[in-house]
Amino acid sequence: NISYWHLVFLLPALLLLLALPDTRGRYNDDFDDGEDIAEFDDNDFAEFEDVSEDPAVDVEKEPPPRAAPSSTPIEDDEDEATVENEDGQDEFEDADAQDQDMYSKYDNEEHYIAHLQNSWESYYMEILMVTGLLAYIMNYIIGKNKNSRLAQAWFNSHRELLESNFALVGDDGTSKEATSTGKLNQENEHIYNLWCSGRVCCEGMLIQLKFLKRQDLLNVLARMMRPACDQVQVKVTLNDEDMDTFVFAVGSRKAMARLQKEMQDLSEFCGDKPKSGAKYGVPESLSILSEMGEVTDGVMDNKMVHYLTSHADKIESIHFSDQFSGPKVMQEEGQPLKLPETKKTLLFTFNVPGMGNTSPKDMDSLLPLMNMVIYSIDKVKKLRLNREGKQKADRNRARVEENFLKQTHTQRQEAAQTRREEKKRAEKERIMNEEDPDRQRRLEEAAQRREQKKLEKKQMKMKQIKVKAM
Amino acid sequence: MTVNNMADPRRPNKIFRYKPPNTETNPTLEDPTPDYMNLLGMVFSMCGLMLKLKWCAWIAVYCSFISFANSRSSEDTKQMMSSFMLSISAVVMSYLQNPQPMSPPW
Repeated sequence: NISYWHLVFLLPALLLLLALPDTRGRYNDDFDDGEDIAEFDDNDFAEFEDVSEDPAVDVEKEPPPRAAPSSTPIEDDEDEATVENEDGQDEFEDADAQDQDMYSKYDNEEHYIAHLQNSWESYYMEILMVTGLLAYIMNYIIGKNKNSRLAQAWFNSHRELLESNFALVGDDGTSKEATSTGKLNQENEHIYNLWCSGRVCCEGMLIQLKFLKRQDLLNVLARMMRPACDQVQVKVTLNDEDMDTFVFAVGSRKAMARLQKEMQDLSEFCGDKPKSGAKYGVPESLSILSEMGEVTDGVMDNKMVHYLTSHADKIESIHFSDQFSGPKVMQEEGQPLKLPETKKTLLFTFNVPGMGNTSPKDMDSLLPLMNMVIYSIDKVKKLRLNREGKQKADRNRARVEENFLKQTHTQRQEAAQTRREEKKRAEKERIMNEEDPDRQRRLEEAAQRREQKKLEKKQMKMKQIKVKAM
Repeated sequence: MTVNNMADPRRPNKIFRYKPPNTETNPTLEDPTPDYMNLLGMVFSMCGLMLKLKWCAWIAVYCSFISFANSRSSEDTKQMMSSFMLSISAVVMSYLQNPQPMSPPW
């Protein structure tokens, strides 16, 4: 399975990491005292042993003189020597001058040997780093290819349906003429777009294949802890005449709870808690958010219920709205908000089966969902609220707008106030900067007169209001 | 079955061109990972160069790789290459100044 290849490359890196610390033979500047000759054990007579600079010889000679089995891991080393540094040090502290001479002879030779051994094994951290980088690069290539194959498989299975429904399939917006490119737009190594347009009942449809970041090793490792799945997001934008005024959503319970908090229109128009889908004949795992009961009854006809029931596991969320403006935008302090721009939209989010371990064949199972999308487009065009429903909907929208204006009223007032103050200050600056004293005086007088007029106007207004009140 | 076989739903006269979504009005849509990684990579390579820390330089190399893997197709390759080159030069300089191998933290 190709998805395990990256593990194959990680394994050597891990093995390297585990194995090497035991065989550390790094030349350490702190210990001049012959690390590779000092095969000393606790034996007091060890320092008088006949030690040669050849570690290989040492290994052979070791067993006979020693009384007890050594604790030093010489068995592992053929090329290097390890040392019980503490023991070595103790030995040398006790050594007398004669021994020191003997050992100083070995010092130089050790330097030489240690340098040779210094070359590769001591750089194990670097080798580890490079191995990690290579693993990352391998994973990048494998992941990129997998995502690309999945995208192509999806397109191949959906191409016919899309081409029979849309005049324009595939557009990146850059070419002069509106001709179908007939291929996906690659935004990233894990996101692919497809724009379709030229159909009755809608303006256009943007399909986004949001795959997992298989090309990023960090993400792959993170997903081992927290599984996630690939998603296909379909956003259909509609003209004004294509849809009546309503807001509706159905999807998995978690998704509905999240969307109700996040989405601007769902939080404003669908205030009630999500209702269980079981009431309308769909599985319990789905819940419904709706502006009014009539809308739910209108959308959830037999065919829709059938679609939802047979593909409930693949449906993350379905969102129909005439007031769609995306997720709630974080308001900056002191900035008066304009009412967010809305567009009539149908938004579908589907989960690709396989939970990350998808194969190109799984893309075929999404085809019925695309059929559902097409069916929804046609249905929404025909779905019209009755008189009562329309009145309710209009009232809802008026209410939301009013609330919004009230909330921002103080902000807008403040903004207007600051603007007026700015103007006054700018004028005063101009007067101050005026060098000619005559001009200055004249400007000041003009400003004063203007102020006077404004005051008079205000007083007049107040009088008029009082008269009216009476 | 869902497509009406009688009438072709396609309307070539109702074609709208693709407009890339405006990310300025909706900053939540953009993935900040490549930008953060780019910045981190530069910070680490500066640390590695100035403070002569080898591990900083290596982390910078990793950061620039991660930034590259997550980057958008529309992004400038020059910037990617420059951050990558910077991290490589940080590693090389650290080793030229101090050829000793890196010591692990344990």
